[in-house]
Amino acid sequence: MHIAEGYLPPVHAAAWGVAAAPFVAHGVRALTREVRSNPESTLLLGASGAFTFVLSALKLPSVTGSCSHPTGTGLGAILFRPPIMAVLGTITLLFQALLLAHGGLTTLGANAFSMAIVGPWAGYGTYLLLRRFGAPLMVAVFFGAFVADLSTYCVTSVQLALAFPDPGSGVPGALAKFGGIFAVTQIPLAVSEGLLTVLVMRLLTQSSKGELTRLGVLGRERTERHEEAAAR
Amino acid sequence: MLPIDAAAHSSRWRRRHPAEKAFLGFGLTLCAVGLPPWPGAVLVAAATLAVLLGPAGVPGRQLWRAFRIPLGFCVTGAVPLLFEVGGARGLVALAPGGPAHAGELLLRTASASLGVLLFAFTTPVSDVLPRLVRAGVPAPVVDVALVMYRIIFLLLDSMTKIRQAQAARLGHTTRAATWRSLAGLGATTFVRAFDRAQRLQSGLAGRGYDGTLRVLVPACAVSRRFLTATGVLLAGLVVLTLVLERFLP
Repeated sequence: MHIAEGYLPPVHAAAWGVAAAPFVAHGVRALTREVRSNPESTLLLGASGAFTFVLSALKLPSVTGSCSHPTGTGLGAILFRPPIMAVLGTITLLFQALLLAHGGLTTLGANAFSMAIVGPWAGYGTYLLLRRFGAPLMVAVFFGAFVADLSTYCVTSVQLALAFPDPGSGVPGALAKFGGIFAVTQIPLAVSEGLLTVLVMRLLTQSSKGELTRLGVLGRERTERHEEAAAR
Repeated sequence: MLPIDAAAHSSRWRRRHPAEKAFLGFGLTLCAVGLPPWPGAVLVAAATLAVLLGPAGVPGRQLWRAFRIPLGFCVTGAVPLLFEVGGARGLVALAPGGPAHAGELLLRTASASLGVLLFAFTTPVSDVLPRLVRAGVPAPVVDVALVMYRIIFLLLDSMTKIRQAQAARLGHTTRAATWRSLAGLGATTFVRAFDRAQRLQSGLAGRGYDGTLRVLVPACAVSRRFLTATGVLLAGLVVLTLVLERFLP
């Protein structure tokens, strides 16, 4: 899932780092602004980042018979917004490289670009679009998580194809090769992550309405309606 | 606590300045990535292993347990290079020079991973984070990372306990039950993360929290001897690789 340490040639590793930098810098500015205007949000953001980290420790039953783990980028982006996720995702990737030997430091830029930038933005965009068109919350959440997971792997496939073009058919052939390998496991996994995210969100709407309202996922009116119904 | 971080806290090099270990570990990683895989990556891997098992005193078994994870990714990642698709020789065929290319990639990734493991096994994350402010990382980002680091272990602990409780209630016996349990696990972890943050907030507010998390960083000086020895080792590896490259097949 993460590109391993040293897997990318130096030029590619540096180029993906440069590509990810503006998004992470934008996220850092958003996070700094948020913390300066609201100091107690440091703890909330830290808890959110820790949640993103442990989410990747959840083992999902995969259709191919093995186990895999969710990226958590879809749920993270819906809950905390993509700019914040760019920073939290990058810190998570750094911790995964240092604490779990998962991913790497030379490939941090490439992994951040796919998992902390493209995944959250694509997932959040899909979620927002569906909500604007009046889709129910859970449908939007499912497709948000599905697209976030799948787009992460599509970008990873492109990164690998650009680094290792096929000797016979060049970059398109390599893209088909890496994409094909990922598709076998990742399309079922993306569906699984979408379903899991819906189940988690459904439980959260029942148990943590206050937090979801504070994060802007649920509208205030909707929460008040829920509370009135519960009181009745 | 996670095994690598636990080992780092009791490492022989724990009291060394993180900058020294970063220069050595990341220097070796950069050498592994930048030098020709044969013989460069082999020399770097041998030097890193010698440092890890020798002066750094990392137990071999712990190192193997941590190293086999990235090694598995390296092997899986090298397999696609053995094949070519859609070329003149058919839809899928063995790539000319594929085994050599895959071997080189395997050497490079394995060797680079060892360099990062050298840093990770000797430097707890809690020693690195507070020093990042001096390196130019904005203080709010470092504070968020510090809170993340502290809450991660509590949440992982909670997850283990919740999973055990779910298993004791036959929560993993069928596929449907497994999905329900997983969703419950994710949601409960989320609720606990926010609960932790709120309790931490109340505790800190009682101690006059002004938005900055101040932590005590153990004072340690940067050893010039260590840095010089590291510089000599890295330069030696580069020179030796370039010399051997001319003579070896």
